[in-house]
Amino acid sequence: MRVFEGLYYVKRNTAMHRLDPRAKLVYVLCITILSTAVFHTALPMIMLFISVIPLAVEGRVLRRLLSTLRGGAMLAAFIFIFNFIGRLWNIGFVSPSSPEFLEALMPSLAMALRFLTLIATFSIFFLTTSPDDFAQALVQMRLPYDYALTFTMAMRFIPTLAREAQIVADAQKSRGLELEKGGFMQRIRNYIPILVPLIVSSFRRAETIADAMESRAFGASKKRSFLYMLRFKLSDTLFSAICIAITAAIIWLRLSSFLPP
Amino acid sequence: MIEVQDLWFRYPESDYVLKGISLEVPRQSYVAILGENGAGKTTLVKHFNGLLKPTRGKVLVCGLDTREHSVASLARRVGLVFQNPDHQLFANTVYEEVAFALKNFGFPEEEVKRRVEAILAELELDRYRDRSPFLLSMGERKRVALASVLCYEPDVLVLDEPTTGQDHKQKEKLAELLQRLVDKGKTVVVVTHDVEFVADHIPISIILSRGQIRGQGKTLELLSNEDLLAETFLFPPQLTAILWKLSKLGLHPAPSVEEVVEAMLQARRQSP
Ligand SMILES: Nc1ncnc2c1ncn2[C@@H]1O[C@H](COP(=O)(O)OP(=O)(O)O)[C@@H](O)[C@H]1O
Ligand SMILES: [Mg+2]
Repeated sequence: MRVFEGLYYVKRNTAMHRLDPRAKLVYVLCITILSTAVFHTALPMIMLFISVIPLAVEGRVLRRLLSTLRGGAMLAAFIFIFNFIGRLWNIGFVSPSSPEFLEALMPSLAMALRFLTLIATFSIFFLTTSPDDFAQALVQMRLPYDYALTFTMAMRFIPTLAREAQIVADAQKSRGLELEKGGFMQRIRNYIPILVPLIVSSFRRAETIADAMESRAFGASKKRSFLYMLRFKLSDTLFSAICIAITAAIIWLRLSSFLPP
Repeated sequence: MIEVQDLWFRYPESDYVLKGISLEVPRQSYVAILGENGAGKTTLVKHFNGLLKPTRGKVLVCGLDTREHSVASLARRVGLVFQNPDHQLFANTVYEEVAFALKNFGFPEEEVKRRVEAILAELELDRYRDRSPFLLSMGERKRVALASVLCYEPDVLVLDEPTTGQDHKQKEKLAELLQRLVDKGKTVVVVTHDVEFVADHIPISIILSRGQIRGQGKTLELLSNEDLLAETFLFPPQLTAILWKLSKLGLHPAPSVEEVVEAMLQARRQSP
């Protein structure tokens, strides 16, 4: 469940938290472009990854970010291993000292690092943006309110779900369920007594919420009014401008081959 | 049977939820753990079968340190019935649901069948045997959850808030059932904030508030301690409340039903 920690919003009063979600989205977009379309090797990935750290420190969410990354590291390792084996397969298995070996190793490493960089970037966004602000940002970016609400409600219920999964697991363990027992198939089957109550209670909850929303006239009128609007402040403009400027500069340097691919 | 020695516990990233709890639940006793919402009752009893391990201090179950034994092996001795049955019901039929623990603990097929039938009959659930547990009412679902633990006859039975959502008749039936278990030599621990139920049925209580034990001993003595109840956010049982009211009116009835009734009659005669 620790993986999810990177998705919960933690209420704090830092510059990162005060930034308009749209300004933070600009930042997320910049890093995404740089790490997927512009660079393809390990070194720039590491640089991009490191650039996320100061923002996490400023937003005082570094510890949570690290625990997300610990969860993501497993997946990153998979990505690395499958890539690496795939490439070795194509060139025929070569000795570790040959240059071909390095040629297979480095791009695989870059792939894994790219994944971690993206996780870190998105994680920072969600850690410092309240779901309500995010929904409001989506609405002001002309996304239909229903979609924005669906998304934020899903986010809102991740902690609830994680806590509930723990309770269900505890209840079943108290009745003698041992998750680690048996062969591979048995182990998968061991999770049924945990998944079923979780899914059933999620449906129950969804129904309750839907009833509660309808009884408060959700969807009764086409035009919603909002209690508050997000306003793009000077700091938001500055932050976005700096992100775009740096990204543009990096792309230019890359195109004129001053930077490695 | 269960021994808790200076238990401190906190969840990751939280403050201490249990602060230096020491208590003993002797064999064959019938004990209530009372406390307001969020007092730490559930957290405490999750230590009784090793689901949670002490941050500091020790919990011994039948002399076994919970830190050194698996939940499965401790759960065989200490049956824990959770508050919300919906957190555990998963099987297609009530029968399967109740058989779950028995199968996990490796009971032979014949024995499983015998025990499930017996417990379903005892809890008046036999007519639902082949129904889906999800289609039952809340009170019935709670009974299925209870049956699914009772069936393997653990030495200690711990029930977390068994009376919530139950009507008066169901509560009385539950009380009878628990008393039968105690008479059979089982140890029963009831976690609750239902003061009335405890006053009526459970001889010994432990009062928990904000992660600390604030009183333990005879239920009726604890529940007539006005200061203790006020400090621990509990309401006195109605009878006690009546006694207090009467004594504030200058009447000092001794705590027997006849005398209370006498005092009330007297009060009524005095008022115009
Ligand atoms: N899984 C958990 N993670 C963090 N805090 C928890 C968790 N479960 C309970 N708590 C906190 O511990 C305290 C005691 O909870 P609990 O033992 O459930 O109390 P009770 O059962 O007496 O109502 C509460 O403040 C609750 O918020
Ligand atoms: Mg509780």
